[in-house]
Amino acid sequence: MKSIQPYTGVTVLDFTYELGSYATRLFADLGATVIRIELEEGAADRKQFKDSTNPEARFLAENTFAFRNASKSTLIFESSNAEIIESHLLKADLIFLEKGGLFFEKIDEIRQKNSRAIITYLSPYGLNGPNIDLEANDLTLQAAGGIAWMSGRAEVSPLRLPLDQSAMMTSVYAAVASAAAFFDAEKNNNGHLIDVSAQECIAHSLQNALQVYDLEGRISSRDGEGTRDATEDIFLCKDGHMLLASPLSLGPSWGSLVAWIKEAGHPAFDTLNQTHWLDPKWRKTANAKKEFRKEFADFIIQYTKNEIMEHALKRKIVMSPINNISEVIGDKQLAYRGYFKELKINNYDKMVSYPGAPYQFSEDIWSISSPPYFSV
Amino acid sequence: MLKNINFLDGIRVADFCWAGAGPFCTKVFSDFGAEVIKVESTERVDSVRSGGPFKDGIPGINRSGYFASRNSGKKSITIDLKSDEGRKLALRLIEKSDVMTNNFGPGVMQRLGLGYEDVIKIKPDIIDLSMPMYGQDGPNSSLLGVGMTISAVSGLTGLTAYASADPVGPGTHYPDHAANPYHSAFAILSALRHRRITGRGMKIDLAQVESTVNFLGPAIINFAVTGQDPRPIGNRSVSQAPHNLFRCKESDSWCAIAAQSENEWLALANVIGGQGLANNPSFHGVQNRLDKTQEIESLVSDWTRQHTVSEAVSILQKVGVTTARVACSKDLLTDDLHLKEREFWQKIDHPEMGITTFTSPPYVIDGNRLQLKRPPLIGEHTDAVLRDILGCTDEEIRSLNSAGVLK
Repeated sequence: MKSIQPYTGVTVLDFTYELGSYATRLFADLGATVIRIELEEGAADRKQFKDSTNPEARFLAENTFAFRNASKSTLIFESSNAEIIESHLLKADLIFLEKGGLFFEKIDEIRQKNSRAIITYLSPYGLNGPNIDLEANDLTLQAAGGIAWMSGRAEVSPLRLPLDQSAMMTSVYAAVASAAAFFDAEKNNNGHLIDVSAQECIAHSLQNALQVYDLEGRISSRDGEGTRDATEDIFLCKDGHMLLASPLSLGPSWGSLVAWIKEAGHPAFDTLNQTHWLDPKWRKTANAKKEFRKEFADFIIQYTKNEIMEHALKRKIVMSPINNISEVIGDKQLAYRGYFKELKINNYDKMVSYPGAPYQFSEDIWSISSPPYFSV
Repeated sequence: MLKNINFLDGIRVADFCWAGAGPFCTKVFSDFGAEVIKVESTERVDSVRSGGPFKDGIPGINRSGYFASRNSGKKSITIDLKSDEGRKLALRLIEKSDVMTNNFGPGVMQRLGLGYEDVIKIKPDIIDLSMPMYGQDGPNSSLLGVGMTISAVSGLTGLTAYASADPVGPGTHYPDHAANPYHSAFAILSALRHRRITGRGMKIDLAQVESTVNFLGPAIINFAVTGQDPRPIGNRSVSQAPHNLFRCKESDSWCAIAAQSENEWLALANVIGGQGLANNPSFHGVQNRLDKTQEIESLVSDWTRQHTVSEAVSILQKVGVTTARVACSKDLLTDDLHLKEREFWQKIDHPEMGITTFTSPPYVIDGNRLQLKRPPLIGEHTDAVLRDILGCTDEEIRSLNSAGVLK
């Protein structure tokens, strides 16, 4: 690390185990000293894989821990460390608490000890309101926050997003609010208490569904009827699937798509060149979706994912292959930018590819290091 | 209680963002009291201004709820950036700003003469955020994209599925609404802190695909360790059963149920099948239940179908089972008493839209909700910004207007 990092000299005490652990990692990668404080048997995230007898569950929990806790250190909450922890509590710049974790019921006590700290409390439903004591997990939070409703096929159940997205959403909102509060606290020398509700973070991330209901009285449905353009859909291609998004509002994408189909001499052109395809409202109907699928599916099936990417670049059409994770890791654009980072994870005793920084800075201020050692 | 919370008071942002992800990032700054000046064009109107939904369904560039929800508290000026005079005005605005932002494709700001190398000549400590889909450089950097294609190339669409090799994907442009705007906002806030301690600004290149891949971090590590693609599990869990969304009595109504412990299973079993089911040893232990997932789901479903979603949720929550209604927008806005009590919704008056509902930022700070301010009409602040910030005289403004620069 050549440069001073944004949070060099800043101490973050991390009592989180799920909703907040990615938030604190964002600070750690930018220079903060982030100290996880956990019981000897481990915080809940560590216990999850230590105690699991199911290999698949254990593996996922282990890798989730490894991802969210890179660049941090850990301190065991025990009597021999009491003075050190007390000293950290008095001096820390930011303290992240999570419902159910260590110290989560000691907000007032911590604020009295350290009035200049930012204390960020993360929980499923917040610090007040009738639901604060409800049990919750990723599935029920995605349901209660409204995002599970938004995905899936109409004929079957709604579908949640994968890989604990409720925690990821909550973490980025918490990180931003905490960073803004810290910016103020440094200037005015006063701390703040930030109460972050996972349900609200999710409900804040529903695209325009709330406005669609508030302004037009319509409920956005998971198949997109009435809100999504007929082209915004998934299609089979020669070696997998692709996604297209060519509503009229997206610049030249629709015109270029129709021109490509014409150039290829495919009969779908005769249908898609008709004037009703210039009506944005009609394009959001079930009939439009059905007609488009029939025509386009027959056209795009003859192309591979690579060819689709080439045509998207050449013709300025908004479409892309649907990549699986191995294809993401092999993505030539990401490779060109040196995106993935190799990191040692002690449990595997080998170097492992990690996602790189979510942002690149013109100064060398982002770094990543191995997650704190965890025994299994 | 609603309150102005001006953590970023004194920061000025020259905001060239449009559409979804970029404005959602800069909204953080206007909501926290920064002065965000949105540079717009009446010739090429922000697509979310013209895309709706509209108040009462009547189209109009000042009536879009989507635009309103991404641009609260900002000022709007209109400038023709392709004109020489317009470009000079933009540079003068940047010179008076701390941060500049755009979410155009690579090279657009450079072609306008507003690239980082251009602006640091007049504002050396500027913080300049760009957020193109795939980054500023590289073989696929010119790929056009929206949230859904970002999901597709980053691996999210393939994993949002009921089963392998049958991708469904998020029903929204999901990366536009969390990962990319909030990673961007965090990057700017960090750069501001860095400037505070070093005096230096910097350029930030947020490739939206790279940002989104971070939201799938464990899957990347899984593959790196095993060489195998993770399998989609839909609404199920690899460590708990039952764990799914179950159909209730009313049309298209669903509740989420997850037995997170043995006690929760026993409580659930008691409700849906009585002591007989709870005492059945073949369902004791999570591995036994995982092995019989379909059988258990069928039992749960038989029970939920006999109850309205409100009944099912209420009964199960009372006995400590992890459950929730699968809420649609109407449920959240009209029926969720918890959100109501936490003042999650704000009513804001607007000259053309009247009083409409806004979502509060999802945090309560020192016991207060952050008070939102209304979004701007297109070009509403052009004269005021030119006069008060750029120091233009009324005569200059008239002249720029008649030359067609302020459109």
